[in-house]
Amino acid sequence: MYGERTLLERVKVFSLFAFIPLFAFTAVVMIPFSLGVVMTFTDWAGVSTSITFKGLENYQIAFSDPNFVASLFITLRYVLYTLVLTNVIAFGLALLVTSGMKGQNFFRMGFFTPNLIGGIILGFIWQFIFSRVIVYLGEVLNLQMFSSSWLADPQKAFWTLVIVGVWQSSGYMMLIYIAGLTGIPKSLLEAAEIDGASKWQQLIRIKVPLMITAFTISVFLTLQRSFVVYEVNLSLTNGGPFRSTELLSMHVYNEAFLYQNFGPGQAKAFILFLIVATIAIIQVRAMKKLEVEA
Amino acid sequence: MKKFWIVCLTLLLALVLTACGENASQNDSENGDSQARGGSAPTEISILLSKPEIAKPFEETVKRFEEEHNVKVTVIPLAGQTPFEKMSSLYSSGNPPTIMMVSQEFDTFKGHFLDLTDQPWVEHVLPGMTDFVTVDGKIYGMPVTVEAFGFIYNKAVVEEAIGGAFVPSTVKTHQDLESLFKQLAALEGVEAIHVSPMDWSLGAHLTNPFFAAQSENREERHQFMQDLKDGNVSLADNKVFNGWLKTFDLMKEYNSEKHSPLGTNYDDGPLALAGGKVGLWFMGNWAYPQLQELDPDGEYGFIPVPVSDNPDDYGNSHISVGVPSYWVVDDSRSTPEQQEAALQFLNWLVLDETGQEYAVNKLNLIPVFDNFQIKPEDSLSLSIMEHMESGNTLEWMNSYYPADAWPSMGASLQKYLADHIDKDTLIAELELYWNSVK
Repeated sequence: MYGERTLLERVKVFSLFAFIPLFAFTAVVMIPFSLGVVMTFTDWAGVSTSITFKGLENYQIAFSDPNFVASLFITLRYVLYTLVLTNVIAFGLALLVTSGMKGQNFFRMGFFTPNLIGGIILGFIWQFIFSRVIVYLGEVLNLQMFSSSWLADPQKAFWTLVIVGVWQSSGYMMLIYIAGLTGIPKSLLEAAEIDGASKWQQLIRIKVPLMITAFTISVFLTLQRSFVVYEVNLSLTNGGPFRSTELLSMHVYNEAFLYQNFGPGQAKAFILFLIVATIAIIQVRAMKKLEVEA
Repeated sequence: MKKFWIVCLTLLLALVLTACGENASQNDSENGDSQARGGSAPTEISILLSKPEIAKPFEETVKRFEEEHNVKVTVIPLAGQTPFEKMSSLYSSGNPPTIMMVSQEFDTFKGHFLDLTDQPWVEHVLPGMTDFVTVDGKIYGMPVTVEAFGFIYNKAVVEEAIGGAFVPSTVKTHQDLESLFKQLAALEGVEAIHVSPMDWSLGAHLTNPFFAAQSENREERHQFMQDLKDGNVSLADNKVFNGWLKTFDLMKEYNSEKHSPLGTNYDDGPLALAGGKVGLWFMGNWAYPQLQELDPDGEYGFIPVPVSDNPDDYGNSHISVGVPSYWVVDDSRSTPEQQEAALQFLNWLVLDETGQEYAVNKLNLIPVFDNFQIKPEDSLSLSIMEHMESGNTLEWMNSYYPADAWPSMGASLQKYLADHIDKDTLIAELELYWNSVK
């Protein structure tokens, strides 16, 4: 097992452990992905029998589509807001439920619950809240801001997406932060306490630096999730009003299947992949540098 | 470096195996197909159903058909997907359904369908109803039903407003429509019209009259659409378009949801109309089951979307009637036995008395054939058939729209409805879209 000499023996051992997952990964990720990339250079639409090579035409169409550019910007805005809000709120909640207050386990469970409900259901529940409950309250309390449905206005509809997105993922990120907080050696905090460090100093100088891994994971997950969010977008606003809240995933799907432009849609999907991959890799690398040893 | 080679070699192995696996599975399915034909085992066919609202009665219909024939039918109902999405995946996996209910997908997939020209039902089909699925003089699809859209009126509310019996054919012009709106709005607690803001309703249905009413001559209508694509039409100078837009302005002005036009959804429509809160709603007869549920004894009917102030103009006494979908039979993967069974089913729906009864009474289909003894009896269907019999119908030009036309036009009309853009911008956006169509 540990004394392999020849290459063949090594391959045998490696295959023994890694072959099945590698096989599965190749079959369901690598091959479809490569085929997908090849498709972006052709005019194949999934059903026709003839395939012609088109070069970069699909990418040209993609970038010259004003809706795609608009969708790209609105997605970047969405990612920015959800990224900041989710992580700030999640970290706050994590501090709250590890502070030793009464009933903290109950709260921990409560904050996590939104994550257990599927995105489609969530979207419909919130759609009801925004278009019925809040409007009703607005009428009763005579509040101008809530008197008409938020989903009917492009700006407000965007914020409904942010609100629901943050509400849904904060609980999950909270768990990661809790794990990070509990991983900090008690002795360090006690030593800081004796040296007269305030709670705030302890947080900034000890807890945060030792928890960088948790931040890396959370920020990475939030980034990746926000970029490819689809189901809440579908059930809450369905891209409306007038395609103003169409985030990238939805835009790509609609382009390919609803408007039946397979090539450009596939090209947009690949562009989306590149954007997410690039940003995520930069983020993880940058944050790795911040990690410290206790 | 050694590690690298190990990974490479294993990956290669994985690749080879995956490729083999693919081939093997393909062979299996082909063999399976040919072995499955035994002596009197029932032929198995599958049906892709793209009208989810009739999924339940359709199951019953299929069961009844199975009792009389040696066929086993699997129904694949669609919910929230277009047939295009489902068919793309089924065809690429080499496993298409035997019968499919298609609409705009027809063009993309037409190389895969069976020629139905010599089928017995063809001689009974009403004129013009198979134009959309005719290629080089051959018919490839059987119409499922007809649907219509226009202003649906609630008879009780309208008659209260005008203080007497209502004859729908008296509403033919902008003036007629506006005075009806005024009379309705004058009623206590009643608004004139509910405008649903969904992009498919505005972009595909409401836009239809401005294409279809361009000319009585089919060639000319379609030429108009072509001219619009080629950029040779100025909508601002087009008489029918301006008349149509004036009607939309009236709808906008008398809209019951004026305070927040985009804040409502489809389900508010039936509630408003059947609940007697409005007199009119722009929608089609597919909404009837909901109206009936809310108001079982209510009577409803259609009035046209007028495009001018001259009562004799083409389009002013017409409602848009069309075939929303067609049955087609797959000719690429299905065996002759399966095709035989599929054709049997389609003919049973049209020619067999039991089939007819199921089609009309269970599935609520309006017959598109001249041999039906059974007729639908609800008020909306009767209103449609009245218009059909007197020839007061507009063609469904929206069947010929490019796939992204209704979302695009729908978005522009939503902006206009909510006062985000003015008339000139609306016209510019519509022209920009049509000029971009290849």
